[in-house]
Amino acid sequence: MAAFDLSLRAERAHLWQDRVFIAVAWSLGLLGFVLPVSIVVFLFYRGAGAISLDLLWQSPRGFPLGASGGIRPAIEGSLALVILGLAVSLPLAVGGAVYLTEYSASDRLRRAASFCAECLAGVPAIIYGLFGYSFLVVFLQMRISLLAGGITLGLVMLPIILIGAYEALRAVEEKYRETGLALGVSRIYVFRRNIWPKARAGVLAAVVLAAGHAFGSAAPVLLTASVVMSKGGLDLSSPVMTLPTHLYYLVSEASSLEQAYATALILVLLLLAANFSVMRSKSRRQR
Amino acid sequence: MTVSGAAGNFSARVSSWRSSLAVSEESLQETVARFSFLFLLIAALGTLVVVLLMVAREAYPVLFSRSGLWGLLITESWEPLSEPAQLGVRHAWISTLAVTTIALSLAVPLGFGIGIFIAEIAPAAIKEALQPCLELLAGIPSVVYGFFGYVTLVPWFETSFEMATGESLLAAGLILAVMIVPFVASTSAEALGAVPGDVKEAALALGVNRCWMTTRVLVRHAAPGMFAAVALGLGRALGETLAVLMLAGNSVALPASPLDRGQPITALIITELGEAGVGSPKQEALFAAALVLMVVIVAVNTLIGRLKRRMLHGRV
Repeated sequence: MAAFDLSLRAERAHLWQDRVFIAVAWSLGLLGFVLPVSIVVFLFYRGAGAISLDLLWQSPRGFPLGASGGIRPAIEGSLALVILGLAVSLPLAVGGAVYLTEYSASDRLRRAASFCAECLAGVPAIIYGLFGYSFLVVFLQMRISLLAGGITLGLVMLPIILIGAYEALRAVEEKYRETGLALGVSRIYVFRRNIWPKARAGVLAAVVLAAGHAFGSAAPVLLTASVVMSKGGLDLSSPVMTLPTHLYYLVSEASSLEQAYATALILVLLLLAANFSVMRSKSRRQR
Repeated sequence: MTVSGAAGNFSARVSSWRSSLAVSEESLQETVARFSFLFLLIAALGTLVVVLLMVAREAYPVLFSRSGLWGLLITESWEPLSEPAQLGVRHAWISTLAVTTIALSLAVPLGFGIGIFIAEIAPAAIKEALQPCLELLAGIPSVVYGFFGYVTLVPWFETSFEMATGESLLAAGLILAVMIVPFVASTSAEALGAVPGDVKEAALALGVNRCWMTTRVLVRHAAPGMFAAVALGLGRALGETLAVLMLAGNSVALPASPLDRGQPITALIITELGEAGVGSPKQEALFAAALVLMVVIVAVNTLIGRLKRRMLHGRV
């Protein structure tokens, strides 16, 4: 009887342990929902009121600067930097990935290169910013400029795109390569007609991800390209405003919290839109 | 041999000659393509290596400076305006260490919990909704996190702890924790999901509950991957710039408690680089600090690579 009692008690403890475990797991999972949603809702709640067409279309005004007016030069500057960066990094990264998956016969090279790229993707953006500052801005005398910032952001994106494109190309099944090559056509032909159409969406997703990362990163831009205020109008050799650095200046110089909320919200919404489009294309591919 | 036979033979030969010509043309095109792709790969990786070498080149004179590496890291404080200038970054690396420790000690349990939830507990529909949420969390830029902390945590600290300014290592660490949770969570979920099903079934068949099965069996099997998740979070936290710049308080005093203000290495660099003369000892010290940070991060990444490989081999 006593033994039976004991086993019953053990069983109950067992059951309770399981219940507590599952409850804790659910509440942590719930936190995973609540954190991102509450941050976005908070920004929306405080910033949506300040968003207007004027904000999107006008230059900053007021005193201290940015206290009123718009953020148009910042949006333009951010876009220009990212596009310039893509022009630098896209051919290198995608070309390199194509060599690794389509041409390289050495598994060792492939492993070494992807390890290298992963390490470089882990190097913080500020290190690339330091390079941009000492080499591009000072040594090549580009000064603080759109060109220097664009190249620096290109370097930030390079390893991310390389890894993403490599994974996307590798995800195409080997049989498509083998059948093509068995028919005697060249590797470039196999790549163009068999591999690229299947990998394109994945490569694009990696590019958008990297571009979003660069769009929101302020540290390398602070060191190579940004100014508190520009009149708008883009010129490769002159500095630009960007959304993230504008937000930083607004906060650090305590210009206007209202404008800061609006800037942060626009920045997040633009990135969300980019991420969302990638996710949609990804889920469509999976179906 | 008939005439037509000879002609047929001839035309066959011509066509074979032609096709061999075509092959050699093709292979020329092929060679061009191969080498241009190889060139792009070398250019890509080469550029990145040059970046790191350039940073090292700017930093190395510190080794031969008056105070040397020891002075930079341990004995000197940061007083660039005093005579002679003191260019030590100990306050910065101690701040970085403090902020990272706070962030990891919160983000690791949280991230592991979410990872276990995704891999084991969550129904498929919830899993599918949770993953984009985590991606969203990972996609919010650092400067927005910094701003978010600045308008929520900082005033809250000021009122509830009666601090003169709410900017502190603790505030920076808390926000940093939120920033690295998605990385820890998704990497650990991936590691747990990679544990083969028969291990799980064997455990459940012995009659243990899910708690026991997860903590004693799954987590042990996924241990290298879980460790990689922590290392990934660590690498992120060490290199994070804008959020800690805006929240840690940017003070060059040596921090004594988490509620003190501090200045992590990244914040120090952003704050001081603009005022450092080109080639000045100050600039060299900043680059050296960055180099130390980078070496640590690359070491952490190497560790991740090792662990990932072991995770894959463990599975096969």
